[in-house]
Amino acid sequence: MTQQRGSERQLGQIIYYIILWLVAIAFFLPVLWIFLAAFKSGGELVRWPPKWIFSPTLDNIRDAINRPNFWEYFRMSFVFSIGAVAIAIVVAFLAAYSFSRFKPRGTNFMMFLLLSVRMVPAAAVVVPVFMMYNAFGWNKTFHGMLLFYAMFCIPFSLWILKGFLDGVSVRFDETALVNGGSRLHVIFRVVLPQVKPGLVAAAIFNLIFVWNEFLFNYLLGGKGTTMIPVLLATGVNQGGSVDWSFIASLSLIYMLPPIVAIFLFQKYLLVGMTFGTVRGEV
Amino acid sequence: MAQLGTQIESVAGARRIEATQPRLSRWRALEESRLFPAVLVLPILIFFLVWNIIPLLWLLGVSFYRFKLTSAQPEQYIGFENFRRLWESSVYWGTLGRTLTFMVCSVGLATVLGILLGLLFWGSARMPGRRLALTLLFTPMILPPVAVGTFYRLIYDPTFGVLNYYANRITGKTYDFLGDKELAFWALVAVDVWMWTPFMTLMTLAALGSVPKAELEAAEIDRLPWLKRLWYVVLPHGKFILMLGILLRTIDAFKTTDLVYLMTRGGPGNRTELVGVTLYRQGFEAFQMGNASAMAVIALLIAIAFTSIYLYVLNYRETRAALR
Repeated sequence: MTQQRGSERQLGQIIYYIILWLVAIAFFLPVLWIFLAAFKSGGELVRWPPKWIFSPTLDNIRDAINRPNFWEYFRMSFVFSIGAVAIAIVVAFLAAYSFSRFKPRGTNFMMFLLLSVRMVPAAAVVVPVFMMYNAFGWNKTFHGMLLFYAMFCIPFSLWILKGFLDGVSVRFDETALVNGGSRLHVIFRVVLPQVKPGLVAAAIFNLIFVWNEFLFNYLLGGKGTTMIPVLLATGVNQGGSVDWSFIASLSLIYMLPPIVAIFLFQKYLLVGMTFGTVRGEV
Repeated sequence: MAQLGTQIESVAGARRIEATQPRLSRWRALEESRLFPAVLVLPILIFFLVWNIIPLLWLLGVSFYRFKLTSAQPEQYIGFENFRRLWESSVYWGTLGRTLTFMVCSVGLATVLGILLGLLFWGSARMPGRRLALTLLFTPMILPPVAVGTFYRLIYDPTFGVLNYYANRITGKTYDFLGDKELAFWALVAVDVWMWTPFMTLMTLAALGSVPKAELEAAEIDRLPWLKRLWYVVLPHGKFILMLGILLRTIDAFKTTDLVYLMTRGGPGNRTELVGVTLYRQGFEAFQMGNASAMAVIALLIAIAFTSIYLYVLNYRETRAALR
């Protein structure tokens, strides 16, 4: 009797898990469709009725990689993501330490203003920056783009790091100082190791945000500073017809890194998607 | 000779150490001075000044001018004319109204669906392959909006789109989802809901995780009915995180620009023009920088209002937690 109920419960559990898996797959389906499209030949892609099963080809991906601008744009995606995030994290960490430990006047106001900036529609931010860059001659320059993206990453990094730093007791600082450690020693050797999760979360999610960014790059960037999203967007709109094989294979290549990132760093997802204002794991 | 050489070297070395000594102590003095907090904040202040304050002043300034980027005419001071025209423009009010509808529909639907999915995934802690399943579920929200906007055009395509194939099988008609005046807006809402339901699921899971285990066990022992359990046990603890999630979503929905621009460019007509899209088109298709700046100022004010509400809720939660 009890054994039977136990197996019934087990069956219920299995059905429950299958439902969960189906829900997850359902959400992934549109993405899967594009991934499949990347492996379809041109005729297969626009075939009616659409096919889920077909003989895959690697021609599209090979073709996308061999397009003239591909590697250059791809490289810039990496350079800007990593460069901007590195600058932003250093700048934000120093400021977060100061805000968290010394609480200078205006800390809360500064935190508020920086967060507000990230809450404005991108198009509204880009209008004045575009005019300013035009006047300074920073349009289409490497440093203009890189530093802009650094600023783009700073608010989020600051919020997340200040949250983590507030969680580290001041006792650590005091103990280290009393024992003759310098402030720099305290900051980098005592406090920094304790906020590693915050650093990782800020880095990963800012990397994804810059990686995905389009509008700023499209308007402020130019030759030598263009990233893949611009290629995706202009690939669609140039001329009348759309080269779907190219779009699909480019999307596949470009969307994989963020997906792998949230698989590897899933426990930071909550912190990352809420500007560090909600902590915990899912 | 060689001995002498090393001797000189060692003397020089000693000098070098002496020379660095005062520099080190100067650094120590700086560390202990009252200026140190300011030194740490200096880099961020420079960034803030150059990339926020200057553009902001620029924006405010230009919003009082008639300034077209492509025309040879010099900019002309017109006071509040740009704002007055926006105030009187039924098109702009229409855009604001449409953005509001978009926000309410997309956030509302994503919230309801997200909460349901969150409750569904509540008991999944020991599911085999949970990490992979959650990755698949959460994927939509970390994709580049450009890529999403682009590939949904493929899915929505009236002649070979996969969605039309199934719609055709069911209703016998084909739809031009993005070209139809009635459908285009809802097609966008659907994509936005698809993209952001996982986020609300994430927030729901976080909210559920914030409920103390002891209280859930007490409810279990008392055999409290399911709905009452949610209402009296889960909601009082989870509502803050949920509230923060809804607010963040609302702000994000207000920001939506590139997704819409890639899918419909605001068309057909202006049926899918949201605040961000209108702003972009004013600034970078019509090059009416004065007008675009005025719009940007309005968007900025709305964003600041949203942020204030968000932080109010956040602080309220934190003070409550501290009091407890």
